[in-house]
Amino acid sequence: MKILGLLGSYRKNGNSDILAKEALMGAEEAGAEVELLRLTDHRIEPCQGFGLCLFRKEGCHIKDDVKFIWSKIGEADGILLSGPCYFLEATAVIKQLIDRAWVLAHRGTFRGKYASVMITYGTRGWTSLAMLQPNIFFGILGFKVIHREAIHTQGLGEVVHENESLQKARRIGLELARAVQNQDPTYRSTPGLCPICQDWNIRVLKDRKNVECPTCGVRGRLTVRDGVIDVEFDQRALAEYRFDPEVCYNHFTYHIKPSRDYFMRTKDERKALVQRYKNYLKAEE
Amino acid sequence: MSKYIVHLRYYPGDPLEEIRQADLDRIAEDHGVEIAFEKIDRREMVDGKLREETLDRPLEEISQDIITLQSDDEQSLRRTIAAIYDRYRSPRTPYGFWGSSPEGARLAKAVTDETGGGW
Repeated sequence: MKILGLLGSYRKNGNSDILAKEALMGAEEAGAEVELLRLTDHRIEPCQGFGLCLFRKEGCHIKDDVKFIWSKIGEADGILLSGPCYFLEATAVIKQLIDRAWVLAHRGTFRGKYASVMITYGTRGWTSLAMLQPNIFFGILGFKVIHREAIHTQGLGEVVHENESLQKARRIGLELARAVQNQDPTYRSTPGLCPICQDWNIRVLKDRKNVECPTCGVRGRLTVRDGVIDVEFDQRALAEYRFDPEVCYNHFTYHIKPSRDYFMRTKDERKALVQRYKNYLKAEE
Repeated sequence: MSKYIVHLRYYPGDPLEEIRQADLDRIAEDHGVEIAFEKIDRREMVDGKLREETLDRPLEEISQDIITLQSDDEQSLRRTIAAIYDRYRSPRTPYGFWGSSPEGARLAKAVTDETGGGW
């Protein structure tokens, strides 16, 4: 059994680095083979939106380190993602990888693997979207996430003063390894509002009647009982959340594949219309 | 021929609930707009799951529910489209209005933007 630490932080010996290592020590304690991969040590080019990767067996054409990263994730049974939240969200390198994961999302390549997430942050109140990218990343890849923890710490390596945070990280690693061993996807962190991604963010739809989890696309109605705000999620919507395998299949089969026919049929008309923009404000190449 | 012809194409998983003729008839009656409904289902059961190959197939021929509205009255049509979106949400794709008259497609898109399309 192998647990791979994925670091979404550039800083060596920083808080995310230290917590990832502490968690991997916990995983080792449970008998796991462990490895640490710092995403910023690798070249991750932006997705070029070619779309052909979705239809070709060989996948993405970009020659960088992303295939290597996928191979490392493929070797692992569990992923421990650790990174900082600088401005409300997780770091850009994770988003960069999310865009490149497009091709894998529809293939279910890693579906059923386990993951845990630790995000460090410095200022309370500046973390509202910190779990967004980790949730999207593991959602599209079909992982079972068993921990999502935001850990309060700031300066380089300061987390070593926080014994409780270190213990928490160690427990996260240990429990991740045990979850893999026992094939037990029970969620271990404090539950959130959305029963799928466990996040607390809710989006009000324009009809002003419904709300949804913006990550999972699950709709519901806002309720207030005895002063407590809650959401009554629609049961069908819960069963058909965005990253459900059948929903992903329908998305690929009916929203992406037929776009080729549409693209080809509108090609001649577009060719004429696009001329207007081709040489206007041409960026230097 | 009506001024506005709108095709709303819903692919499997798109509508919030099953689209039924009887429900559309009620909406048509409420708003005085002609509504037709066609269901195409070319999916096949493969290992217990509904599957279909849609690459390189004409987008009108793949599995979908098509609601067609015809009217000369913009306001009635707007209200009808909004009622349909309220129940089923709007079509999901850029080709979700394919085959509509240019005026009809413009109107359906405008209602989508105004209402959020039910997400």
